[in-house]
Amino acid sequence: MKTIITNKEYWKSLEQLDADPEFQKFLRNEFPGVADEGQSDVVTRRKFLTLMGASFALAGLAGCRRPVEKIVPFVVSPEEAVPGVPVDYRTAMPFGNSAHGLTVRSFDGRPIKIEGNPLHPSTMGATNAFLQAEILGLYDPDRSTLVLKENKPGTWEEFIVFWQPLFSQFLVNSGEGMAVISCPSSSPTLIRLQGLFKRSFPKSRWVVYDPVSDEQIHIGVKAATGRNLLPVYHIENAKVIAALDSDFLALESESVRHGRQFADGRRIHSPEDSMNRLYVVESALSLTGSMADHRLRLPSSRVENFAAALALTLNDFNFFVAGTEELDASIRQTVDQKWLKALAQDLIAHAGECLVIAGRSQSIAVHAMVLSINKALGNIGKTVDYREATGDLLPDASELAKLKYDVDQKKVNTLIVLGGNPLYDASITIDFAKIENTIHLSTYVDETSQQSTWHIPQTHFLEAWGDVSSVDGVLSVTQPLIQPLYGGKSDVELLHLLATGQDRRGYELVRDTWQEILPQTDWESAWRRVLHDGVFSAPVTFVVPEILGEGVMRALKYYPVETVPPSKERLELVFKPSSHVYDGRYANNGWLLENPDPITKLTWDNAALVSPLTAQELGLKNNDVVRISIGEKAALLPVWLVPGQADYSVTVQFGFGRKAAGHVGNRIGENVYTLRSTVNSFIELGAVLAKTGKRRELASTQEHGSMEGRPIVREAVLEEYRRHPEFAKEMVEHPPLKSLWTEFTYDKGYQWGMIIDLNTCIGCGACTVACQSENNIPIVGKKQVANGREMHWIRLDRYFSGDQNDPQLVHQPMACQHCEMAPCESVCPVSATVHDSEGLNLMVYNRCVGTRYCSNNCPFKVRRFNFFNYYTQVREVEKLQKNPNVTVRSRGVMEKCTYCLQRISQAKEKAQQEGRPVQDGDFQTACQQVCPTRSITFGNILDPDSAVAKLKKDPREYGVLSELNLKARTTYLAKLRNPNPELA
Amino acid sequence: MSQTPTKAEPLILGNPTFASITEQVSEITERKTPLPWYILFTMSVSLVMLLFGMIGYLLFKGIGVWGVNIPVGWGWAIINFVFWVGIGHAGTLISAILFLLRQRWRTSINRFAEAMTIFAVMCALIFPGIHVGRMWVVYWMFPVPNQMGIWQNFRSPLEWDIFAVFTYFLVSSMFWFVGLIPDLATLRDRAKTFWRKKIFGFLSLGWRGGNRQWKHYELAYLLLAGLSTPLVLSVHSVVSTDFATSQLPGWHTTILPPYFVAGAVFSGFAMVTTLAIIVRRVFKIEHIITMRHLENMAKIMLATGLMVGYAYSMEFFMAWYSGNIYERFALINRAFGPYAWAYWIMISCNVLTPQLFWFKKLRTSIPVLFIATIFINIGMWFERFVIVVSSLSRDFLPSSWAYYSPTWVDILTFVGTFGLFFSLFLLFIRFLPIVAMAEVKGSLPEADPHSHDHGKH
Repeated sequence: MKTIITNKEYWKSLEQLDADPEFQKFLRNEFPGVADEGQSDVVTRRKFLTLMGASFALAGLAGCRRPVEKIVPFVVSPEEAVPGVPVDYRTAMPFGNSAHGLTVRSFDGRPIKIEGNPLHPSTMGATNAFLQAEILGLYDPDRSTLVLKENKPGTWEEFIVFWQPLFSQFLVNSGEGMAVISCPSSSPTLIRLQGLFKRSFPKSRWVVYDPVSDEQIHIGVKAATGRNLLPVYHIENAKVIAALDSDFLALESESVRHGRQFADGRRIHSPEDSMNRLYVVESALSLTGSMADHRLRLPSSRVENFAAALALTLNDFNFFVAGTEELDASIRQTVDQKWLKALAQDLIAHAGECLVIAGRSQSIAVHAMVLSINKALGNIGKTVDYREATGDLLPDASELAKLKYDVDQKKVNTLIVLGGNPLYDASITIDFAKIENTIHLSTYVDETSQQSTWHIPQTHFLEAWGDVSSVDGVLSVTQPLIQPLYGGKSDVELLHLLATGQDRRGYELVRDTWQEILPQTDWESAWRRVLHDGVFSAPVTFVVPEILGEGVMRALKYYPVETVPPSKERLELVFKPSSHVYDGRYANNGWLLENPDPITKLTWDNAALVSPLTAQELGLKNNDVVRISIGEKAALLPVWLVPGQADYSVTVQFGFGRKAAGHVGNRIGENVYTLRSTVNSFIELGAVLAKTGKRRELASTQEHGSMEGRPIVREAVLEEYRRHPEFAKEMVEHPPLKSLWTEFTYDKGYQWGMIIDLNTCIGCGACTVACQSENNIPIVGKKQVANGREMHWIRLDRYFSGDQNDPQLVHQPMACQHCEMAPCESVCPVSATVHDSEGLNLMVYNRCVGTRYCSNNCPFKVRRFNFFNYYTQVREVEKLQKNPNVTVRSRGVMEKCTYCLQRISQAKEKAQQEGRPVQDGDFQTACQQVCPTRSITFGNILDPDSAVAKLKKDPREYGVLSELNLKARTTYLAKLRNPNPELA
Repeated sequence: MSQTPTKAEPLILGNPTFASITEQVSEITERKTPLPWYILFTMSVSLVMLLFGMIGYLLFKGIGVWGVNIPVGWGWAIINFVFWVGIGHAGTLISAILFLLRQRWRTSINRFAEAMTIFAVMCALIFPGIHVGRMWVVYWMFPVPNQMGIWQNFRSPLEWDIFAVFTYFLVSSMFWFVGLIPDLATLRDRAKTFWRKKIFGFLSLGWRGGNRQWKHYELAYLLLAGLSTPLVLSVHSVVSTDFATSQLPGWHTTILPPYFVAGAVFSGFAMVTTLAIIVRRVFKIEHIITMRHLENMAKIMLATGLMVGYAYSMEFFMAWYSGNIYERFALINRAFGPYAWAYWIMISCNVLTPQLFWFKKLRTSIPVLFIATIFINIGMWFERFVIVVSSLSRDFLPSSWAYYSPTWVDILTFVGTFGLFFSLFLLFIRFLPIVAMAEVKGSLPEADPHSHDHGKH
């Protein structure tokens, strides 16, 4: 460091500065809690200035963290980058064995907003709440910043020095005593390096572990076909869909793609169109269940009965389901006969254009049977395809058990954990104390890191090079948008060091892999094309597998049909990943924690979901804390009653009860992984719920679930719609609407409007988080949410109708409706909310004094008030995430949906520069862009060719509370249901 | 109600002379401050400190320290505002309207009723100021020229409110002060210490009691009475438009303006009666504020109570008759929803309690009057609570329904305003004549040049 100053030697790169040992020491001293011992140096004035100079230099560099390697932007190349003009880059995010192709918007070198990549098959331009929230995760100040050696600061170089002798030792003994736990992956580079690793250390053990995995699907398919195949669904081709405990629209793999496919099969524009019909058999009310035309409440443990009964019924109709010949015919009696028969006939009537799909929680036997059923119905190759899983790292829970055995036998001296958090989320605990060297790569210093001898900070996917393969074989490169904020290494970089003893950069590793993938002729431009497009479609051939009847039979023998249904004394316990934190990986993400669960509307907690009837029998009310015990394991959770939950079935969510998640996520909810009997079980029988007498208030954003007979969400069955296409408008009668004053005509220029198709909206809540990300909306915490002060500009209203035990559901996205005759505007004493000539209801933050009268007079209650200054606790790095085009609101002002005014303005500026009017499709609002089902359409309603103007002419179009003469710019398309006449 | 029939009771009992009235009323301000006053004043001022503490905390932290939320954007602050403004109605009504109607019995109570009005309006005025999210820019609501080019939205009832309440406050203060002038001069004439002489000398504006002065004075008083009278009706009508012009079910009704005025008079008289009962007892002026005054006020309370009751039932009728499902629900929800407890407190206090006043025995019983008037004030507070909170908490879309509860800050702020009210009231009864001496003297038989003609017209 001294040399830098005295000899005026300028460092060439941040790395050089980074590598300076003295500077490293200084960095470590920045963390007094973990300061090195024996540091008795007296800080002289000169030294102080030296160090301060370096830290300022570092601070300055933090502002321009553009990656050193060349990455290719989507629209404008970096050398033309104009400050203040955002640049979009294509990248892709790994998620288990899936990949999500993304377009990420970068603002002066800071990625600020994630969108889907329209060219990528898994996202098709859309995203979901988890993907949206990744941008918050990137800037999380709680992320790990330092290499830790036995929980004391170390360096990557020290780790390399540590690894060299071990590496040589393992080369000699072929890796005996070495084990790796990795996450499932379809990354070509990771797979390549894993091959390298296995070649160097053939005796090592490689465990692929994921607490929430599709393992049972893979094994079920293997059992039925004898091959390692991955299913790829084409739901848009299915006229009839039967989902067996499968939440394919939300929490199963590939939900974004499935949402789009499902909506495409359901979208309807005229009474002549047809739409798909969805049957759902499930225990917990899921989003998929909420969209069902027919939903059968059944404990998850009984779904196998149902699948078997369905197979037998199909056999009766001469659609022979291979492998089910030996099933006991009496199984058919255990499920609703009428329902079963109607479904079977409907499937048969649509053979080849229907789909049976089972969820990951179901047993291997169910998946084998379902494959066999789809085969019998001729669906394979039409509504479902299978891809050979060549080399993919597929999860295998049995390997983890074997590893534990080895560890207990002291046969393992070095364990490498590549991501994941097994000491928190695995139901079997590997005793790290029995292993000499434990190395954990992780983005947080989490429960596993704390027990490890080495912790290596892991990069976020937006910070490091990598690659991914989508489930149907489309390859993408994960290109970083920013230098690692907190240092850190990617999984491929660490694995390469482990496998070869050499430290190489991820960029080189990925390019090496892609040398094989891309054609050698003009490789460089092909590479640039991949970076630009975000996709490379390798030729993938789907296979039409043969069904091995005996395989299905064997699966049924190992996983026989459960004969005794759950009861009050022997409850069924079903585990689900949380809609907030998934498996726990998003535990420190405030956006997700505050995004209400689509069904329960709960935030910031997990709860034991029970049906109203079960709760009544057990004497339980909402918020009662119960002790859930199963065998010797137990957990305490508050109860939440969910209409539509199967009786005697209790649903709990993973991912809570973290102890080392970070400031936001620590000590929220309860860890229920501990209740699992095996590493990958989702259904347990024999649970007991005991009242503790304690209560824990849960924070729900919607207290009232009934529509009270009001025509808010309007719906009809398909037949009725065909008879009365205008049914929605006819549902409200009112006298002629007259205004007190001459109304502004809004007949010139752009007139912005929105339409939301309630028929395809699945209620997932992605729009809520996308809006939060785009518009710098703060999170407020559990207490404030419980007091009705959440700040979301767009909320998902969820209403139940019909039988309390077996209700139907509707979802309605609700944001500012931009009424032309806005009730909020006339009551503001300081004209802080006014209309513009383009029909937008504007909110002038600077002018607002905060009387809250506008909110009181808003019939939709979509205005949000800053009751406190929610930005007082924002840490410096979090500010980097904020959208610079949107004001951060201070305390005491009202805010609400602006129709993404900043995007409108940008589009108008761009159009003006190009000397043309804004055209339909030039831009999308954040909620529109994220929507997996394309349910939101926005644009100029005066342009007769715009998508929104066309939809506004749809006979199903209606405005909520239009009888108040609001002339709202947001209107809705009424919901339709397509019930089977046999079950009506 | 005419007081001229021969059988009417005398307004002032015990046949006092001009001198004895002067002596009795002035002496209260001149004697050594009694210990109980210090005790009460210390308590009241402590509550004022509490009020300032709460406002300071609010200013420091934000509106979030209150219980308000979305959908219930207005809570105790607005309820308290309407409550205090309502109480502030009795003074001007007694002074102005009863003056114009030649109800001479008002003379014994008008002074402190007016004082009460001004103090209540002061308490009320705190709330519009502090209930906004950014109270440091609350002046943006006033149409004062500024460099920001802000102009106010005169379509907003909140803007009307500002004008209505401030006008009311100014005119009431003027009216009160003009009424005080002759009495201040009396105090000046009796003053023995230097400062009393100077201060009362200044405040009495050179009053000498000459004929011309009396002539001008009485004309001015009459004009001010004429000016204040429409204000009594307008101020609470305008306050009610905060609710009536919005389109919230339960607020959006044309009955609100008359209903609010009747309610305000109702609560104002209840408060005057409560205070009168204490004051006449403490200062032993039962012969000046007589049972007849109290009885007359009870009758007014009975009348306005019936009006309020009529309004309650008419709201239900209109909700049913309009056929509007939202309006109908709002009213049913009031009586049977989560805030039913508040609704039934309101009904029992406001509709049932005044029914006691049908009976002469009850309306002339001090304990009954005292308790009943306190009940009425509680009931009137709850009326505003019911209107504000129950309507907001459940409006058009059931998805946004939520329950509202106040926080400790809400409660202590309200308690603090009572401290302010009583501090000002204690200062008033300590330093100013609590009874309008000049006017009371005017209602004595010897002041009436035609008294010997009684019965002869």
